[in-house]
Amino acid sequence: MKYIAFVIVVLITGLLGYLGSISLGPAPPMAPLLDPNHGFWQNMKSEDALAKEEIVLEGLVAPVHVSYDENLIPHVFAENEQDLYRVQGYVTAMHRLWQMEFQTMAASGRISEIVGSIAVPLDRMTRRKGLAYGAELGMEFIQKTDPETLLLLEAYSDGVNQYIDQLSEARLPVEYKILNYRPEHWTAYKSILLLKYMSDMLVGDRDLEYSNLRKYLGEEMMGKLFPDFPEENDPVIESGKKWEFAPIPISRPDSISYPDDALVIEPLPQPEEGTGSNNWAVAGSKTKSGNPILANDPHLSLNLPSLWYSMQLSTPDFSVKGATLPGALGVISGFNRNIAWGVTNATKDARDWYKITFETDQREAYRYGSESRKTEFRIEEIKVKGESPFMDTVVYTHYGPVVYDRTFRAERQDVNFALKWTAHEGSNEQKTFLLLNKAENHSDYNLALDHFTSPAQNFVFASKSGDIAMRIQGKFPLKWKEQGKYFMDGADPRMEWQSYIPNEQNPSTLNPERGFVSSANQHPVDSTYPYYVFDNSYEHYRNRRLNTRLREMSGITLQDMQELQFDDYYLHAFEALPVMLELLGNDASAESQAQKYLQELKNWDYYADPNQQAPTLFYLWWGKLYDSIWKDLSELEGPIVRPNYYRTVKLLKNETQGEIFDLKSTSGKETASTHVKQSFGAMLEEMKTWEAEEGDYAWANYKRTKIQHLVPQFTSLSVENVYTGGGAGIINATSSRHGASWRMVVEMGEEVKAFGIYPGGQSGNPGSKFYANFVPKWANGEYLNFDLREKEEEASLLFETVFTPQL
Amino acid sequence: MRFFGFLILTALLVVFVGPFVPYWMLMVGAFLLALVLKPGNSAAFFGAGFGFALSWVGLSLYLTIDTGSELGGRMAAILGVQSGTVLMIVTGIVGFLLGAFSSLSGNMLRNLFRKKPDNIYGGR
Repeated sequence: MKYIAFVIVVLITGLLGYLGSISLGPAPPMAPLLDPNHGFWQNMKSEDALAKEEIVLEGLVAPVHVSYDENLIPHVFAENEQDLYRVQGYVTAMHRLWQMEFQTMAASGRISEIVGSIAVPLDRMTRRKGLAYGAELGMEFIQKTDPETLLLLEAYSDGVNQYIDQLSEARLPVEYKILNYRPEHWTAYKSILLLKYMSDMLVGDRDLEYSNLRKYLGEEMMGKLFPDFPEENDPVIESGKKWEFAPIPISRPDSISYPDDALVIEPLPQPEEGTGSNNWAVAGSKTKSGNPILANDPHLSLNLPSLWYSMQLSTPDFSVKGATLPGALGVISGFNRNIAWGVTNATKDARDWYKITFETDQREAYRYGSESRKTEFRIEEIKVKGESPFMDTVVYTHYGPVVYDRTFRAERQDVNFALKWTAHEGSNEQKTFLLLNKAENHSDYNLALDHFTSPAQNFVFASKSGDIAMRIQGKFPLKWKEQGKYFMDGADPRMEWQSYIPNEQNPSTLNPERGFVSSANQHPVDSTYPYYVFDNSYEHYRNRRLNTRLREMSGITLQDMQELQFDDYYLHAFEALPVMLELLGNDASAESQAQKYLQELKNWDYYADPNQQAPTLFYLWWGKLYDSIWKDLSELEGPIVRPNYYRTVKLLKNETQGEIFDLKSTSGKETASTHVKQSFGAMLEEMKTWEAEEGDYAWANYKRTKIQHLVPQFTSLSVENVYTGGGAGIINATSSRHGASWRMVVEMGEEVKAFGIYPGGQSGNPGSKFYANFVPKWANGEYLNFDLREKEEEASLLFETVFTPQL
Repeated sequence: MRFFGFLILTALLVVFVGPFVPYWMLMVGAFLLALVLKPGNSAAFFGAGFGFALSWVGLSLYLTIDTGSELGGRMAAILGVQSGTVLMIVTGIVGFLLGAFSSLSGNMLRNLFRKKPDNIYGGR
């Protein structure tokens, strides 16, 4: 009896121990997770409670001193660059390890390893776009051309790895514990991959949608609905700029034929609307102090842990401070004692698609003019958590990878389009930032930018010596008019990109007469620029508001620039609403609600402040109106894009009775005013529901800005319902999921004065008090002091760590 | 009395050895404690069970109060339980089960030896 009882109890014990150690379904192993000595409870500790005075780091040449200020911003003081980046790697990993790794896993199509087969389609997509392929080429390029950068990349990755190697179970970031996997070693390649990931995040193309539109609408209507330049073009490089170079001649081949299939495939995932940015610099002539002031606020998807991590990096030669990208070396948007710079996205249709005509079903060769070219096969092994790996074969042509083929999303038709993308060509973006970090003047800045290929950026610049500048930098293919706007025939060599625009012919300006430079993702240039410029996503509102303000302002202070970054003026509403109200006439229902809303709209000052109700009404009404006007287009088979807001408002205003407004799908004849009236009614309906269910319709309560954890399912690790104003197309571009991911203003005087903030916190640990502590200040338009620190400075010091070389 | 003594011993084990070893080593520890000290089946079961449970709850409570962190509530939401407090209780229950059965196994093994001291190296 006793034996049996003993055996039963031992079995139960073993079973409990075993069950505790394995994952049941999607749940992580429970016992190690709950064990307060090692599990998630340990992640409650904040970084200051875990501070160490000394850390021994192999490979250092000299001791490196790190002071953390009250916001947990590390200020690294090293004797040389190799030590500097080794410690940057270690410190960044200490606070952001899970995020760094997760982002590179996403970039290389390895999410299935973490979450299982549910992510296989996503990973296949990532790999078929060739992100990892691009990073491999980038790595080879650096190995061949730039041993110096390679050395620094390796120092950084060694710093990350020394942190990983000493990491205890208790200190492991909580996401690893929940998702039940462990960090692997960092490599130089992963840093490159991260920069490619940024390309993917920021670069889109609408070739598929435009191909469909062209087929349905014809060239003439395309020109009307999607003109190359807006009527009031207010480009990045000031209009009237003289181009002082002899352009490379390029001519459009006669008789081009585009592939004419009806294209019903899914488009590639696009950067989401609202990912854009502002940057500007004002010359001393416009500022109170006489020093140039520079401002930058890149808008991206709002996430936790934040995309950005603030740091100061100092050697005896330079001191740079600003926003870093965890995983990449140096500061990406920031300043040193001599210069400041910032970035906004400068997309210019950098991706094109070519239809591939395979010779046989084996896809070993394809047609190219009169010859036949060989393909290459790249086998992608996608490891899947808990299952056997998924093998995917991707066909590569000289253009690039064939993204969609018979094995991938080929349900509806034979696809076979190859993706040509500048991100697939060897380049060294890392070098740009390493050089900018220590640049001293305008010519250093230009040299640094020469290394930058993709994603193309508007680099703003200001220097202590009084210069302000803007340069649009990327590797831009030299295109004939409309080349790459639509899908092209890959069998016709005349469709190829012929060459690239030389760096010195990329649009740029230095100290323009108007006393400021600015960019907000609008058209880069006016129509006098000698090369073809096209993109679907150019901004039409933020840029004009920004430039209007900058033109009229004088005696500018840092505080004025902070306020301008937080400007909630809704220019789109200012232009659209009066037209809408006029078209509505007195026709609105006499219902008291309708009258109340109309009154609110009429009394509105066009600021989308968080407590205002009118922005909600306008936003809803406009959304319904826009849907209603372009209903016919939306119902076409296959993906399309609709004319932008700016163009739509112009048509509403100028062609009230136009054919454009008549829906072919209905029997009656619609005019602009029909759409306006119907959409006003629809808005009333929706508001009725909203008021009944939610009550308050103040703008902040309606748009519900959310800063979401990188794993969207972890809603409790996100910050929801952030009370803040702004929106898409507004300088303060904070919509529901996007907004200023980093705000910085810098005055380049004798002593640099700087402020910065981002919606997150320095710690990536959701248990830390530094995880999201900047969010309330950010939402309020407040800033943190970002002045450069001295090594011995005691003010607002949280703690210090000295990294010492191993003896 | 044996119950309290055993409870305290187990708690000391969890609090002072726990930070250096994974949880299953603590199970082995509780097993060995009972094997050596033979506190009796019920003192072994409840003493080690509560010793484990109270120290796990105590540690997680201490961490929560000491850090002021909201992670308990956030984790509770991810794991589908009502609140951080509930998660703390779950932690206690898991601790109880692990401690209690490990310790009971140890005590029962010792009981087997007591009857057949001659078979101590015999196995079977």
